Amino acid sequence: MGEGRVMEQVLKLRNLKVVFPTDYGLIRAVEGVDLDIYHRECVALVGESGSGKSVTSQAVMRLLDSPPALIRVDTLEFAGQDLTQLTEQQMQEIRGKEMAMIFQDAMTSLNPVMTVGKQIDEVYRRHYGDSKQAAREKTVKNLELIGIPEPKERANAFPHQLSGGMRQRVLLAMAFACMPKLIIADEPTTALDVTIQAQVLKTLRGMQRGCGTSLLLVTHDLSVVASTADRVYVMYAGKIVEKAPVKDLFTAPHHPYTVGLMAAVPRLSDEKKKFTQIPGTVPSPIDKPSGCYFHPRCTYATERCRREMPRLTPMGPDREVRCFHPLSVGRNGHD
Amino acid sequence: MTELMTLQNVSVHFPVRGALPFLKKGEIQAVSNVSLSIHRGEIFGIVGESGCGKTTLASTMVGMIKPTAGQVLFEGVDLNSLPRDEFKKTRRRMQMIFQDPFSSLNPRFNVYQIVSEPMFIRGEDDEETMKARVAELLEMVGLSAGDMYRYPSDFSGGQRQRIGIARAISLNPSFLVCDEPVSALDVSIHAQILNLLLELQEKLNLTYVFISHNLADVKKLCDRLAVMYLGKIMESGDSDKIFAQPLHPYTQALMAAVLDINFSEQKETEILPGDTPSPINPPPGCRFWQRCPKAMRGCKAIPPEYVEVEQDHFVACRLVNGFPDQDMPEGYDQPLVRLKTVRGR
Repeated sequence: MGEGRVMEQVLKLRNLKVVFPTDYGLIRAVEGVDLDIYHRECVALVGESGSGKSVTSQAVMRLLDSPPALIRVDTLEFAGQDLTQLTEQQMQEIRGKEMAMIFQDAMTSLNPVMTVGKQIDEVYRRHYGDSKQAAREKTVKNLELIGIPEPKERANAFPHQLSGGMRQRVLLAMAFACMPKLIIADEPTTALDVTIQAQVLKTLRGMQRGCGTSLLLVTHDLSVVASTADRVYVMYAGKIVEKAPVKDLFTAPHHPYTVGLMAAVPRLSDEKKKFTQIPGTVPSPIDKPSGCYFHPRCTYATERCRREMPRLTPMGPDREVRCFHPLSVGRNGHD
Repeated sequence: MTELMTLQNVSVHFPVRGALPFLKKGEIQAVSNVSLSIHRGEIFGIVGESGCGKTTLASTMVGMIKPTAGQVLFEGVDLNSLPRDEFKKTRRRMQMIFQDPFSSLNPRFNVYQIVSEPMFIRGEDDEETMKARVAELLEMVGLSAGDMYRYPSDFSGGQRQRIGIARAISLNPSFLVCDEPVSALDVSIHAQILNLLLELQEKLNLTYVFISHNLADVKKLCDRLAVMYLGKIMESGDSDKIFAQPLHPYTQALMAAVLDINFSEQKETEILPGDTPSPINPPPGCRFWQRCPKAMRGCKAIPPEYVEVEQDHFVACRLVNGFPDQDMPEGYDQPLVRLKTVRGR
């Protein structure tokens, strides 16, 4: 078990590539993603649909079936352990115990014919070999911690008897059951109402801090990121385009895509009857544009952007940007 | 007349049967006693969380659902009293844009068939006329006439939504109900579709009902709005007035729950406890009392009245409007003390 030093690295991912061969051509879902997650940190992976954010998170947990997926990775280290060398059986020991996942749709990720209590019990029984009674005791305590009223009774409820927010809480309880080192939450609040979203996010953040877990938050919602994450990776068409601490990203975004994305999120303080838009659409994963993937939609694109893919370039402490013409960096903005 | 659509005390109840035939039947009060007026040429927002009845209300407006009680007046005429062929004629002038552009387009129809279907149903049979019209419509929504023979699966979510919009405006409607038109789309596409809706409104002189759970979108887009909770309107009226001074605790809570990406303004806000209760046998009194941070004892039993507090600003809340003077139980105006946790459902 880790001693909890401040900068202990929980996840180190280098050069992850995931390709899906299809009848229409290769879908290059993820193209060389690096990801670092440190102890007790909440890292957000932001992107629109098709950006490869979910595939990345599934690859980290080794949940992608290969075939069909072709996965290549230089380094995939979890808490100092090389995950690529583990057998499926060893992986199963890690999943749920040391790294856990929370999915978007609680209704489909819970078993509809099993009480929620039993589903959480299973985690303890499987990973700690607890007896039925011992497991249930822990489950009830866990449900209480996560803010479910009358946890003892609720443990005997079936998923359909709970509301959407409750179901999502049950998933949280299940993920935090073994106090894992890393939790991957894939769009944990997308299916919820705003008032419930605020509740669940608060619980998630509170649990994460309380348990000393690291969190990888996969989402498309920048407002969720702003209120929850410590560091942010922005993905576009399978590549990381910007990496920054959350405050820096929101006060001074460098990549034109990040800038556009932020402008596209409506705010209560905005002007009426005018929506800032990013022209065009996310490129098809089979037929990506030449050069920088964002250049067809970018107002700053030059000839060079059309020909060459920019590298992820360091810009200040813990910041990297994949752009030839990063924005808002003083007068000599061009590299 | 400036009012295009008026709802008078509209209620929509759906019966629910018990597990066995002789068990007591319940009733989902999806919409109860709603009165609204929508002016010509405006964008009217309906905001609320899932299950609050906003989609049911919109379906009632276009006559897809018959109200259990009350009247739906379109240009002063009660929709549900019209004879069938008259209703069909009126119905052409009201159209809908749906939330999910993947399930609202027939995957086996090409774009031409999808967009021309309303004209075909109206009785248009000249292929050339329809083709010209479809081409014109496609250009209008930002697609090209060349897309006519492609199928929905060839298009991205945003483009599909554009096809849905082209279909909705094909018969030159004057009243368009947009049921969460952007919530299934990517963030960077949102603005494109909303801008398109604004552009079309100006060009075609449309009146919109815009249903959304996103308050920021509603604020930017709508002239007037209604906030719904559990089948009832909590607050409605002029959008600027409501956003400047939200009076109902639920409206205030909804606004507080909107996460802001403006990083310097991140603040700890009070989070509304509990879940929306079931609309089957809803609580008596104010429907919001169980979650209301400011509830008083009287709110539990005495339903609030829907009162115009200033011009074009209606609120249904006892805190704002006060309780009736007589026959009040003791301590009705004391704050409600409740258990720490509120049972959902």
